[in-house]
Amino acid sequence: MTEYLVFALLGLGSGAVFAALALGLVMTYRSSGVVNFGTGAIALYAAYTYSFLRQGRVLILLPGLPQSVGLGGELGFLPAFALAVLMSALLGAVLYLLVFRQLRSAPPVAKAVASVGLMVMLQALFATRLGTEAISVGAILPRRTLSIGGVRVPADRLWFALVIVLIAVTLSLLMRFTRFGLVTRAAAETEKGAVLTGLSPDRIAVANWALSSAVAGVGGILIAPIVPLVPGSYTLFIVAAMAAALVANFQGLAVVVAVGLVIGMLQSELTFLQARHTWLPQHGLAEMVPLVLILAVLVVRGRPLPQRGALTLRSPGHAPAPRRVATPAAVGLLLGTLALLLTSGVNRSAIISSVILAVIALSLVVVTGYAGQVSLAQLTLAGAGAFLLSRFGYNLGIPFPIAPLLAALGASVIGVVIGLPALRIRGLPVAVVTLALAVGVQALWFANPDFTGGVQGARIRPPSLFGLDLGVGAGSGYPRIAFGLMCLVVLVVVAAGVALLRTSRLGACMLAVRTNERAAAAAGINVARTKLTAFGIAAFIAGLGGSLLAYQQTLASPDVYQALAGFGFFATVYVAGVTSVSGGLLAGVIAAGGISQLLLTRLTSGIGAWWDVITGLLLVTQVIYSPAGIAGGIHRGAERINRRWPARQRPVRQLAQWLPKWSPKWLSKWRRTRTAPAVRADTAPALEVTGVGVRYGGVVAVKNVSLGVPRGFIVGVIGPNGAGKTTLIDALNGFAPCTGSVRFDGRLLDGRKPHQRARLGLARTFQGLELWEDLSVEDNIRVGQVAHGGSRTIRDGQREALERLLTTLTLEPVRHTAARELSQGQRQLVSIARSLASQPELVLLDEPAGGLDSMESQWLAGRLRTIRESGITIIVIDHDMGFMLNVCDEIHVLDLGELIASGTPDQIRRNPRVAEAYLGPAESEHGSEHGAASGAASGAAQ
Amino acid sequence: MACTDLRAGYSGNAVVRELSFELDAAEVLALLGPNGAGKTTTLLTLSGLIPALGGSIRHRGITITRLPPAKISRRGVVLVPDDRALFTTLTVADNLSLARRRGGPSIAEVIGYFPQLEDKRQRVAGLLSGGEQQMLAIGRALMQRPDVLMIDELSLGLAPILVQRILAALRQIVDETGTPVILVEQHVRLALGAADRALVLVHGQVALSAPAAELLAEPDLLERAYLSGADLPARPGTR
Repeated sequence: MTEYLVFALLGLGSGAVFAALALGLVMTYRSSGVVNFGTGAIALYAAYTYSFLRQGRVLILLPGLPQSVGLGGELGFLPAFALAVLMSALLGAVLYLLVFRQLRSAPPVAKAVASVGLMVMLQALFATRLGTEAISVGAILPRRTLSIGGVRVPADRLWFALVIVLIAVTLSLLMRFTRFGLVTRAAAETEKGAVLTGLSPDRIAVANWALSSAVAGVGGILIAPIVPLVPGSYTLFIVAAMAAALVANFQGLAVVVAVGLVIGMLQSELTFLQARHTWLPQHGLAEMVPLVLILAVLVVRGRPLPQRGALTLRSPGHAPAPRRVATPAAVGLLLGTLALLLTSGVNRSAIISSVILAVIALSLVVVTGYAGQVSLAQLTLAGAGAFLLSRFGYNLGIPFPIAPLLAALGASVIGVVIGLPALRIRGLPVAVVTLALAVGVQALWFANPDFTGGVQGARIRPPSLFGLDLGVGAGSGYPRIAFGLMCLVVLVVVAAGVALLRTSRLGACMLAVRTNERAAAAAGINVARTKLTAFGIAAFIAGLGGSLLAYQQTLASPDVYQALAGFGFFATVYVAGVTSVSGGLLAGVIAAGGISQLLLTRLTSGIGAWWDVITGLLLVTQVIYSPAGIAGGIHRGAERINRRWPARQRPVRQLAQWLPKWSPKWLSKWRRTRTAPAVRADTAPALEVTGVGVRYGGVVAVKNVSLGVPRGFIVGVIGPNGAGKTTLIDALNGFAPCTGSVRFDGRLLDGRKPHQRARLGLARTFQGLELWEDLSVEDNIRVGQVAHGGSRTIRDGQREALERLLTTLTLEPVRHTAARELSQGQRQLVSIARSLASQPELVLLDEPAGGLDSMESQWLAGRLRTIRESGITIIVIDHDMGFMLNVCDEIHVLDLGELIASGTPDQIRRNPRVAEAYLGPAESEHGSEHGAASGAASGAAQ
Repeated sequence: MACTDLRAGYSGNAVVRELSFELDAAEVLALLGPNGAGKTTTLLTLSGLIPALGGSIRHRGITITRLPPAKISRRGVVLVPDDRALFTTLTVADNLSLARRRGGPSIAEVIGYFPQLEDKRQRVAGLLSGGEQQMLAIGRALMQRPDVLMIDELSLGLAPILVQRILAALRQIVDETGTPVILVEQHVRLALGAADRALVLVHGQVALSAPAAELLAEPDLLERAYLSGADLPARPGTR
């Protein structure tokens, strides 16, 4: 019994440093929206600085300068400690000012990626400047062993935990009772409010970063005597710290500290149990704790991270669609073969490495570039492929092409499992979960000789197909051309597949989910399924790459798939360009172990050590200035050239353009026969709304609204701002829970999700448009068509429908332009076209005339009437009274959530209650005479 | 404050075109118009929250067009946005004290204008009623000793009687401190009751500019501008 307690208490030491780092994480997140992956590196910096200061030297990190500068004498504990903490605070402030201040309006993913880049850079900087041997630090906290109730515990751990708890308490008091704390909490809630109150979010963030780095620094220094001081050791603290922060939802300081301490104690306890009970896996139990905790909490709670009300948001990088696939694939195959034939030995080996790394990079393109889910576990998934290959191919004897394919399938199963938390959480925490998984899997599986069959790694049987030896060979024949060709073929197939994915419906879905999940759901896309498919496909590709790596090394070795290496790999792919196939290929070229590194090592000796530093630095600068990476720059140049010489259109497209020139009657007849089967009575209303009400907390936004929408009508809903019109549409569409019932075509819609309602034929536009800004007009509409499933027979019909839409709404000239470059009027049209693309029966238009001037809105009214003629029922909300009175057949008026009038436009125009709702009630003193005067005036004006 | 040929909008698309006006001391200017006309866009641009696309804004002789919003606030051009942007997890007293400026009023003075808040000083802002939140938002703006006060959609979601009460307090503030106010409102008659002058924006341009009394006396002028929206001549050079 007492032994359990002892080990638990021993774990307080690491628990305290987890808690310290987690406190830092919470502070930087709340003040700037950044999940700072580099917090561990800052703690390490503090520890190193302290250690050097104790020896009377000042550590210098900048390359080119000497490692340290002498102070003339050793420093005592207190001055060294204080100075080290101060310097880490300074480091934090500098990092914010240089990097994250520029990223204020960037999406959270970009901020996280930048902090990953910083982490990679700092880690590598330490490694190159300080080497990898441990530096020991003298004891700081009293080390004697305490005896508590018969249990002997080293006192330093207890003191450490106590210090951190005290710091947390101080911080809480600071946050609650000082002006600084007040200001921080205010700015964390609403940046807009802070700015309008004259507070500067930047100044607040700098102060918080400095404070958070100081706390991390304290943790880093105090843990130094307990843990050997080696560059790699502190980085993995971040995983447990993130788990603690995530569990506390990046908010409660007390919870954060408690969870951090608990993780430390659990890890220590599990290590003890591992040794005690040999039936337990002998490795990696402790490393699984953060992962299991995160998964458990996320599944149980499933609430997204508190969103910081940022002022504006930039869109993520542009993902260009490849125009031709077959030609570049053939050319690539040819060039690759030539390269392999013309080189030998080390050079050829580097080329093969680049090829294999490119395959794994392409997996990141799919999951992060296309689907927008930051995954730090791709290298780990490759490792899973490799180790599964060993099991299938070596242990079970499954022959060549099947074994790696099975291994890849196994990896994709794991990938889908990682993806499950991504359904409940959005954005950043996904990255944390993938990291936790990478660390856990590596410790539990790869590093565990019981599971892998050997301390060196798992053995791999060389591949051979129909007697042809495809193995990598050994000795003078290494590496063999046959092996290189096999890798090349795999790369070309995967690259072609990823390119085709981009232009396919699934790819469009992924991009839509990445850019705007809400709009995607409203268009009928099953967001959950799309995300999981992305994870699955990416994991499959990574598994394939892992198998190739294993074949190349004839061994599945745990060192290759380390979680830390995963960071560097992610950074590399991001720098190359994570949103395109060419980016993935380029990543293979510039990755560590590939061609560029080899060349650069030849040209400048000693660059190898600085590789990661440069990559980290490049990543950070690139996130700030150009999210699409190097490949993005190349694409932009190519697009500029393409615009000068427009591509020749394929014959099918040209044919499609002729269609709209046929008689319009033919078109509308086609539409009408499709949407009006003989059985349905035309008098039945398309939509029946009965007693619908919506409540947000204590506020009643919509109260008891009942109306019927006849088929083929244009029905308008008007009312002053705040009347509940958009809320009503949200309720009809499924985005807001409501009381009462909604019947569409006689079917009850209650309880159905937005994408299900879309599939039943109910489409909508959004007041804020919520277009997929990166996609072209054509792509935006095509995604809208996705809702109707993938039957091949409808596909040609859809192409014609697309052309018709483009023509009816005069979007033909801008069909290839990205949505964000269009004028407001055109954007409105794209939004409407997208909603019509799924060939709905009823479409809800939320402020379609927003931002249009009077001529444009008249023209839009004409377009809507044309659309109505093809049998589609339209419900419109708008404020533009002229537009509404012009275009609607029937109008309903909402005020303060209730229906106050219904009728034809003429009746509404004459209704005094409507005038009152818009213009305000008559003043009490002017009273009835005023009301009568205005009533008479408007009556006379008719 | 003087605004000349202001062009404002989002992502390069102008929603407000060639807006010019001048604001004198102790004047309440009502900015009216149907929604989508560009009223809120104008206020957001004046306060620096969205960058102006053209034209200039001058305040006390200095051009403030491209300054960051926090600086514009500190210079005394203070906006109360339509969502109020209160610090809902902080108390009323905290909300007010965060905005305190040197030489500005004390919390007690500001609460004096809105006595309903007196016994709610320690209540968390998120738990206040809609009317009280609006009062707090205006109070927070007052604490900053504004040279120009801009209020967006004061009446949003509030019962008319409450709006009248707040407008009366506003009138009192203007008369006592001489601070000019720009009031964006959808409820026209309420706004005209408290305003000296009114500008009516339709489709991003000024359709009417007149003293409030005149508009109150001739209501059909306003109704035509609002309810038809087709009064404007076609703009040349449309797409």
